[in-house]
Amino acid sequence: MHIPDGFLAPTITLPAYVAAAPLWVWAVRKHFGPDQIEALPAVGALTAVAFVLQTIMIPVPGGTSTHLVGAALLAILRGPLVAFACESLVLLVQSLFFGAGGITVLGVNALAMGLVGPSLAWVLWKAIGRHAPRVGAFLAAYLGLQASTATVVLALGLQNHLSPAQLPTPWPVMAVAMMLPSLTVAGLCEGLYTAVALGVLSRVRGSLSA
Amino acid sequence: MKRDPRRSRILLLAWVVACFALSAVANLAVLAGAILAVAVLLPRQAPRAAWRALLTATPVTLAFLSFAWAYAHFITHAPPDLHAYAALALRAIALAFGTFAVLGAVDLLGALAPWPTLSRLLVLTLAQIHALRLLARESWLGLQSRLPRKPSARDGLRNAGGVTATLLTLSSRNAREISDALRSRGF
Repeated sequence: MHIPDGFLAPTITLPAYVAAAPLWVWAVRKHFGPDQIEALPAVGALTAVAFVLQTIMIPVPGGTSTHLVGAALLAILRGPLVAFACESLVLLVQSLFFGAGGITVLGVNALAMGLVGPSLAWVLWKAIGRHAPRVGAFLAAYLGLQASTATVVLALGLQNHLSPAQLPTPWPVMAVAMMLPSLTVAGLCEGLYTAVALGVLSRVRGSLSA
Repeated sequence: MKRDPRRSRILLLAWVVACFALSAVANLAVLAGAILAVAVLLPRQAPRAAWRALLTATPVTLAFLSFAWAYAHFITHAPPDLHAYAALALRAIALAFGTFAVLGAVDLLGALAPWPTLSRLLVLTLAQIHALRLLARESWLGLQSRLPRKPSARDGLRNAGGVTATLLTLSSRNAREISDALRSRGF
């Protein structure tokens, strides 16, 4: 779902870095400061888990498959700022070692997939999760993923609006290409997965909230 | 071969600047020239980088752009400008190729040494990814072997939910061990 290198020009990618950088600094100072030696390995471990979750393929009807994201689960378990830091790190590792995403679009992808979606998921979980954990987890993950996808579509649409020579695909085409699978397949899988995973974790740990 | 961290830092900085500059280029000749320049400047890394770019960035980019071109053609009833699509595809592939070539030529963790938080986070993440991926893969193979039919989406989701608990428990244990190791080494 994230944007590959080359799709967005510096007119969008540089402001996104400017917007993301203070949040990265804030996340690092708040959670991984020198007095929090436990936090650094824990976040490294959570990032590894988030990375691995994104490699788990779910077979869907029609013979194809989708993959999980896990950002909503991280936000529910550890808060949106930790989810943002972990997801940013996942995107960095993917761009450096696996050719997915890219270094120029890291800021945009981190804001879309690590901040917008997980933050909405966390808010929804806080609002609904205590009363109906399964429904809350499903809605949080489903709507969180839609928010992330919509932000990616918005960024691509803005690029097409600013410079059609850079990105010739009109935004309605982007919207259909990205939102349709997200609304019908990926979102449902993410929602169901998050509800199941939180259910399992609550049985294992006895408590869900961070 | 030991790589000089200072040289790696300079190469990484040049690569980042080049990536941003290249991400604004729509001229096919300039993009082709950039690919050629990377191949000439980093001849040892170029073949492997080309193969990796061919396996990762190229299929995704071409599939997405083919769909986008066909759909734009369908809704506008006119063939969209092929040059812009070709430039976009070549730009994405050139950036992936350059990234793989440069990363093959640098000592990334050595270059990131002045930023200890980032380099430690990368080490901690990379150290666990392989083991956790193996665990997730084995869990999936175990599920397949237990079922007389092909696993459905429901089976996959239940398995993923279960393996998440295992992954989190294992990674938490690893995190504690790494934390103790860091403390014992004076970090």
